[in-house]
Amino acid sequence: MKFKGTRFSATLLLLVALVISALAGMDFMGMWADDSFVPAPGFEKKMLSQWHSGLAGTPADTPVYIQSGEETGGTVLILGGTHPTEPASLMTSVLFLERAHVTKGRLIVITQANLLGFTHNSPQEAHPQSISFTTADGGTRTFRFGSRLTNPIYEWPAPDIYIHPASGQQLPGKERGNLNRCYPGVPDGSITEQVAYALTELVRGENVDLAFDLHEASPEYPVVNAIVAHERSMELAAMTVMDLEAAGIAMRLEPSPTNLRGLTHREWGNYTETMPILMETGNPVQGRLRGRTDERLAITGEDKAYMKAAPLGRLYIPYDGDQRMEYRVGRHTAAIMSFLDNLEMAYEEQGVLVENIPTFEEIQEKGVGFFLAPLKKSGL
Amino acid sequence: MTLIYRAIVLFVLLLTVRCQFREKDFWKQATAALVVIPLVLRLLMIK
Repeated sequence: MKFKGTRFSATLLLLVALVISALAGMDFMGMWADDSFVPAPGFEKKMLSQWHSGLAGTPADTPVYIQSGEETGGTVLILGGTHPTEPASLMTSVLFLERAHVTKGRLIVITQANLLGFTHNSPQEAHPQSISFTTADGGTRTFRFGSRLTNPIYEWPAPDIYIHPASGQQLPGKERGNLNRCYPGVPDGSITEQVAYALTELVRGENVDLAFDLHEASPEYPVVNAIVAHERSMELAAMTVMDLEAAGIAMRLEPSPTNLRGLTHREWGNYTETMPILMETGNPVQGRLRGRTDERLAITGEDKAYMKAAPLGRLYIPYDGDQRMEYRVGRHTAAIMSFLDNLEMAYEEQGVLVENIPTFEEIQEKGVGFFLAPLKKSGL
Repeated sequence: MTLIYRAIVLFVLLLTVRCQFREKDFWKQATAALVVIPLVLRLLMIK
């Protein structure tokens, strides 16, 4: 059907476009508000810019929480939120931040490593803007569900090809906004490269003995339900995998590829003295085979398409209809606690002992929200 | 650098609006209006 366009119709259409822009803009800007966390007693809050002043005053400057135990020991880093589309990473770090009581050594927790990834959603993924949990007092805790990559309004101009500065490795240009391709980072590079640099400086400057970078992967990706370990971390990781197997938690152990550059398990090992560990759980909301994508899928992992894919042998995880958040956070939590036990056993001087963390079984039974601090009681 | 980028976005936005007002086909005007939305959001560095 053909309509004649006039100045009046052009004006009307322009006004409609501006109204839609305003409504969409308000929706997008809703993701700029910070999430609320309730650190357990003993945590001291610092900012990442303390380790790289170039981040000071930028929206990428993320909080760093440090708790020291009474007994001298080593230092452990738990890094969550490298990829905001992998929410078990965020929630595991929040669990440690809000519950940990450190009796020996130091625990450093960062919940949102790539803070700028939490300020937007990936286009064409239909991901939810947030996920919510019910706490023990019946309240609700809500956290942003962002994008795998840094918000492009801070990462412009993206190159056609991203050349990893330390190795010359070539990746698609958008990967410069992927924090876990930018290590060891560049002090005067893009905002994501600067965050990577600051985190590497933190690991080096704080003499971190054991560093966890928590992730999730789609069920059809081979490196899932897995620990990826640098050569220096391999012995400790092998001990942990055996402990987890004995506890009924199957875990793959993958060596960090020496020619895959820019990732924590490779670059923290090469550029610092720490023992880097990257861990993956299965997350259907990331997968290409998934169907309806919403908050429910992010929390429960229930998906009809994956139910069809599992018997066809297309998945690398056992899939009985779901991959619930409590299962994924439980796996990460149990693995971290097992690593801490083995660190204490194998390298006693570098040991870090943490109490008040729920077991895998407790998290399955009560859910993740039960172990989060109620906001009402915290006055937030 | 961001200011240059935003200036380019503003230039393209103005060209789009100019085309919209010169266009005699309503549906092509509507298409131009759709193009305006992401340009406005990027000009304001919202998305």
